[in-house]
Formats: sequence, C-alpha cells, structure tokens
Amino acid sequence: MRTKNLWLWLALLVTSLALVAAGCGGDDDDEATGDGATTEEGGAPAAEQVITVNWGTEPPSLDPGLASDVTSANILLNIMDPLVVLDEDLNPVPHAAEGFETSEDGTTVTFTLRDDLQWTNGDPVTAEDFAYSWKRTISPELGADYAYQFYGIVGAQDYNGCDPDADDCAALADAVGVTALDEQTLEVKLTTPQPWFTQQVAHHSFLAVHRPTVEEFGDRWTEAANIVTNGPFQLDNWQHNSRIDIVKWDEWRNADEVTLTRVNGRMISDGITAVQAFEAGEVDVLQGGLPPDEISRLKETPEYQQYPGLGTYYYGVNVNNIPDVNQRRAMALAIPRQSIIDNVAQADQLPAGGFTPEGMPGYDTINPESPFLPAEGDMDQAKELMDQAENPKTNINLYINDSPGHREIAVAIQAAWQELGITSTIKQQEFQQYLEFLGPPPNKDVDVYRLGWIGDFVDAINFLELWTCESGNNSTGFCNEEYDAKIEEARETPDNDARYELYAEAEDIMFGEDGEMPLLPIYFYTYTALERENIQDTYNTNLLDQIDLTTVVVTD
Amino acid sequence: MLKFIVRRIFWTIPVLLVVIFLTFTMMRQIGGNPFRQSERAVPAAVQRNLERKFNVDEPWYIQYALYVKGVATFDLGPSLVVRGRTVNDIVKTHFPKSIELGLYAFLFALVLGVPLGVIAALKHNTAVDYGAMIFSNVFHAIPSFLIATLLIYYFALQWGDIFNLPTSGWSTWRHKILPSIALGFGPMALFARLVRGTMLETLQQDYVRTARAKGLRYRRVVGLHVLRNSLIPVVTAAGPLLGYIITGSFVIELIFNIPGIGQNYVSSVQNRDYSVVMGLTVLLSVVVIVANLVVDILYGILDPRTRDARG
Repeated sequence: MRTKNLWLWLALLVTSLALVAAGCGGDDDDEATGDGATTEEGGAPAAEQVITVNWGTEPPSLDPGLASDVTSANILLNIMDPLVVLDEDLNPVPHAAEGFETSEDGTTVTFTLRDDLQWTNGDPVTAEDFAYSWKRTISPELGADYAYQFYGIVGAQDYNGCDPDADDCAALADAVGVTALDEQTLEVKLTTPQPWFTQQVAHHSFLAVHRPTVEEFGDRWTEAANIVTNGPFQLDNWQHNSRIDIVKWDEWRNADEVTLTRVNGRMISDGITAVQAFEAGEVDVLQGGLPPDEISRLKETPEYQQYPGLGTYYYGVNVNNIPDVNQRRAMALAIPRQSIIDNVAQADQLPAGGFTPEGMPGYDTINPESPFLPAEGDMDQAKELMDQAENPKTNINLYINDSPGHREIAVAIQAAWQELGITSTIKQQEFQQYLEFLGPPPNKDVDVYRLGWIGDFVDAINFLELWTCESGNNSTGFCNEEYDAKIEEARETPDNDARYELYAEAEDIMFGEDGEMPLLPIYFYTYTALERENIQDTYNTNLLDQIDLTTVVVTD
Repeated sequence: MLKFIVRRIFWTIPVLLVVIFLTFTMMRQIGGNPFRQSERAVPAAVQRNLERKFNVDEPWYIQYALYVKGVATFDLGPSLVVRGRTVNDIVKTHFPKSIELGLYAFLFALVLGVPLGVIAALKHNTAVDYGAMIFSNVFHAIPSFLIATLLIYYFALQWGDIFNLPTSGWSTWRHKILPSIALGFGPMALFARLVRGTMLETLQQDYVRTARAKGLRYRRVVGLHVLRNSLIPVVTAAGPLLGYIITGSFVIELIFNIPGIGQNYVSSVQNRDYSVVMGLTVLLSVVVIVANLVVDILYGILDPRTRDARG
C-alpha cells in the first residue's frame, strides 16, 4: 500500500471511529431546564419551584404490584393516588378514598372513593380499578414479592399459591374478597379482624393501575411514554440508570395545594459521588443515606438532616449453637450501645431496649426496657452472668454482610465480647451468599449474625411476627409456643390498647427478666440526608423514609 | 484476506458456546436467589410463582438449551430482577454509552500517548525523555479510580469556576471530558512506553542508517519508516486494550454515574440476575473477539511480512 494512502487511511479510520462513537452515543438528553433550586435571601416561596433529588438508585419497577424498594415506593406514592395516607401520628386518613368503615366484627372494610378521581388520560378512577389491581398483584402470574401483604384478605393466599397448570385459578381469583360494589365503593373481606389493615392500605402495593394501559403495553406499561397515572405528579422522563423526572399534574383533584412544579431525579449510587454532586450544586437533596465515614464531617454542615426511622439493627443468635441463656444475656449486657452510636454509627440513632422501634404506635407500652439491654452496656453484670454459664461457647463466628458500616460495629462488639472471654471471628460475606447462609435454617457455622428489619406498615406485629417458629425470617432457631400464641391472639385483637399489651408480653418473653434473648437489638435506625437550606423546612421524610412532595416548598 | 476473516467469524460460534456454558455453570454454582433482594424472606408461594415464570424451575439442561436458542435468535431474555426490562433493552440503552466512553478514552490515550512516546524516543536520554517516562510510569501505576476522584475534586469542585465541568453524569459534552481522561490515562502511559521502546529499537536498525545515508530527511525517515514499523506492537496491545477499556470501564462508570453497562454488569452479578449476566458476558465476549479480529486485520495491513504468511 502506498505510504501516503496509509496515513490517509489511518486518519480516516480514526475519524470515522470517533464519528461512529458520537453517533452511537444515542440521543442524550439535553440538560433539563431548571436544574437546581434557586437560592436567594428571605423566606417567601421562590419564583422557580423546581428541585433535583438524588434517589440513589434506579427504581427497579414503577409497577405498584412489583415495586419492593424505597425509591420506587417514593416515586409511586407521588405519581399515584393512594386510598389512604398516614398522618404525623401514623394514623390512616382518607386520601383518594373519602372515607372508610370497618364492620362490627372487624372483618369487612368498605372504602368509599371520592368522585373526582381521574387518570391522566381522562378516564375516571373507579373502585373496579382497585379491585382489578389488587387481584393482579395477588395473581400467581405476576409473581409479586409483596403479594403476602394481601394474605389477610379472604382467598388471597389460595389464589396466590395456585398453580396455573394444575388448579382452576380463575375460580380462585373470583373467590378473593375484594369487590367493587359500585363505581365508588370497594368492599374488602378479611380472614380475621386485622386492625392494621387500613394502615397497610397506605402501602404502595395497594395502589391502582390503569387496566387498559397494562393490557396494551404489558411489561412496558411503566415507561414514560406509556404510563398512565392518577396522582399529584406525573412521569415526564425516565432514562434508565440515569434520571427520572416528574412534573406537577395540573389536573389532579387538589392541584392548587401543590407548589412544586418539577422534581428532577438523579440516580447516583456511589456515596462519594453523590456528596460531590451536592457540594457542586447539581442536586438539592441527597435521599437514601449518606456514606457512613462521611457522616461525622457532614454533620457539621447546615444541610445535614436526620430523621428517625422505623427499623431495628440487631444481632441474631443461633440458639442451637449458644444454648445457654446466661451466655446470651451476658453477650447482650456487654454491648456498649450508646458508645457504638456515638463513635461508630454517628447518626444519633436510639439505643434499642427491645425489638419494636420507637415511633411505633403503642411503643410506650410495648417497649420492655430490657434489663439486659442497657444503653451503656454493663460489663460487670455481664461477667457475672458469663461465669454462671455452663459450657459457654468461647469461640464464635460473627457473620456480617458486606455493606459499609457493619464491619466497624462488629469490631467494636468483638472487643466487648473479648472482655467476657469470648473470641469472635468476624466473617464478612457478599449479600446473596449471606442470605443463603442464614436460611433458615442457618448454616451450622453461623453463631451470631447481623441483620436489620425495616417496617412495612405501622403496627408492631410487622416486627414481632418475625420471631414465630415458622417465620421465614427467623434464623435464630428460637421457637417458643407461648410467644407464637401471643402473636396469634394479637391478630384477633382489634382493640389497640389490648393488642399493645399482648405485644408487650411477647417482647417480655424475649427480653424481659426471664427473657430468652435470642437476638441482641442494637439501635433503632435514623435516616440521614443532605438538603439545601431553602427546602429544609418543608422537605421532611417520615418514619417509613417516605417523602410527600406535595408539601415541599422552595423558599427564597 | 477475505477467507481469513470468514474463518475467524466462523470460529466465534464455538467460542461463544463455551463462554455461555462456563458462565451458566459458574452462576448456578455460586447459589443465591435472584428473587430475594432484601433481608425479607420470599414466601414459598411467591418463590414458586417466580421460578415458574422465568423457567428457573426447569432442569439445568433445559434452561441451557432455552438460553442458547434465545441467543441464536438475538433474544437475550428478560431481566429476573428488573421486571419489565429485557436484556436487549438494557444492551440497547446502555451499551452505546460504554462504547462511547471506551472509544473516547482510547482516542485520548492514542492522541496523547503516541506522540509522547515518539518525542521521548527521539530525545532519548534527555530531560524530555526522563520526564515523559516518569510521567507515564506514575500514571500507569495510579489506579483509574484514584485519578477519577482527583480529577473530580480538582477540576469539578475546587476549580469549578474556571473549568465549569460537572461532577457526574453523561448528558452533555462537558460531562464526557473527565471520565474519558480518567479512563484513558492508564492506556496512554502504556502506549507512550510501548512506542518509545519500539522506536528506540527501530532507530537502531540498519535500514534507518541506510535511509539517512541515502540523504533522506530525518523527519521523513522517522515519520515514514520508523513510526510505521514501531506501531506494530502498539496495534498488538491496542486490540485487547480496547476490549479491556470497554469492559473495565465500570469503576469509572460508577464514580461518574455514567449509565453504561458496567454498573448493570456488577449489580446483576450481585443480584444473581442470571439472564443479564449471561447476556452481557456473551456481548462482551463478542466485543473482545471483534476487537482482536480488527487488530489482526490491521496487522496484515501494517506488516507485509504477516500478510504473505496468511492465505
């Protein structure tokens, strides 16, 4: 080949590669107008009501039947219209429903819908939409994770467990206790009187979906071009793994109460990058938690915010490997909770005196204030109890998963237990493998393991039912018939005070003076965030880490 | 040449079958449950429903056969974890961005690295040479994520007023500068050293002395004969390097929040999203194979010796 041609050829090759790359880059979005809130002095609402939130992850699904994470839930609860919402005391109040009534025996709940509910395409929202949507979520074909939330409804568990090849699923679907009596009335029949059912309905899995859209687009009905919603905001733009933007829907029934016009969403998952984006002014809110090692620095900034969360961080003990209750009590007493919170976790979490977290209705009754879970730890008493243990296990394996922050806490606890003469080996695993190890039943190598539990809905049964004998979340091997009986009785007790008493008794079995201590609660969660000063007053996350964007106002 | 290309393309098929088989086996061996993504246990009925829906309850050879059939029809299946998206969707949306990033990084490495190596070789044993080599050694040693973080810290944050570069994202041309540089620094250093090494060697060759003795201008000698012959090892390195850049970009994608396939790849393995893992592995294998093929073709063009040896 001639040399002149060679250079020409190479130059052409390089240039064409570059052009191809630029072309293949695809239609990149232009920067959306109005990124970032304006910051001026004063306190009146700003002219431009636009904010940018970092959600932290891509929402895996915006299908109410399939969404199972906090980001999806937050977006869904703002673009859709739930039947009820929770007020500051976490009681259910009517929202898309204008009222709800529970029958005398507590097994029938009737919701009356408002008559001004609309989908974004103009169709009215009817009770039939809810009936269809709930049955769809329960259906075996959808394979919804949260189908179990509906098991309190008559026939739901059978329908969900039906095998489309073997049984008559259509008949089972008809037998499910959800009926639209007319356009505005939804009747729900429960298997037992479940006093928390009306609160549960505030959960995103109870939202309605637009049937024609779902049937037309199938799996893709949630894409921005296809989706039909009925809430205060609507989905403007969703670029997967990149951004998700919602805008105010002017035809929502109470649109005049909504101040924000646009919420741009980023999905920066790396904690450090997210903090840098905030510091560069590219985002206004960091939702989804701050990197643990940055918390001590960020706490000093005026943008730092902290909210109590309905969740408990705990260590579970394999009672088959550590059978002596004195040892378990000693291990509980030795943990210096407050010190760990002050020096390691550093987000002002609350030391746990029981398993049900503070903020749960009835907490004052339920909380056992366990003598074995003092905030500061009690090493002297711990040593005494340890001496009383026969054949204590002095070499234990402490299993944790590989997310940030767990190792530091484990090291602190390892040191505390060393003083009791227990040598702990910390074993850190990747999450999926970790879950496999926990079973239940747990791998026999697991002596102590770390987990957290975040509440789905606001009743203590959501926490306490984990420790029944058959619970799929109980990897401790703890099985106490009396405990199970209390939980069963609670399911049948609609009166709140009576039920809270039962919960208190259940907690007592685990953590009271004669407590079995199958688990060692450490602290109740807090959610940390960074928020610009001009939205801090109105941007508040509730105990379930949910944000109601209709209340947010950007001030000057 | 054509026969050569056709033969290479033909050999791609057995290679891919082996890749699929190995990935399939390894993913199944490490256990885990794609349908459980949090500490909440999945109720038995729900687990059954999901396994039935995604054919995970079939025996392994059926699953394997179904998958191979899918690949043959370019249908890489649905994602098990991100419901409502198929692997084809994920590839179509995210893969071009990774390729773009990789190509920009590669161009940066080429445009900066080759001249650096040339100058270092021509000014051999002078301060310029030492300076260039220290520069490239340092940046070859520093990991790309550290370079990325430093670039963000200085150019996007500290000196943000001067440069006006964003800290993360991939929407406008401003977003593309820092990530491309961060990813391209390592390969740039590699190219600089390679070019310098081969040029020094080539400059010693007899034909160079002959050309100069014949009276050819030094510049023509270097630009024409020496450089062209020195490029051969660069081309050898460039092929797998291009594959590496595209597959290895995930750390940069994570730090700069670039919606490429890197993040998808890592999270799909952690989540045990079998179809996405397999689909992306197949795709990336094809990329590496194509990159190697391109290199071999370029080889033939640049080095007549290999051209004659082939059919």
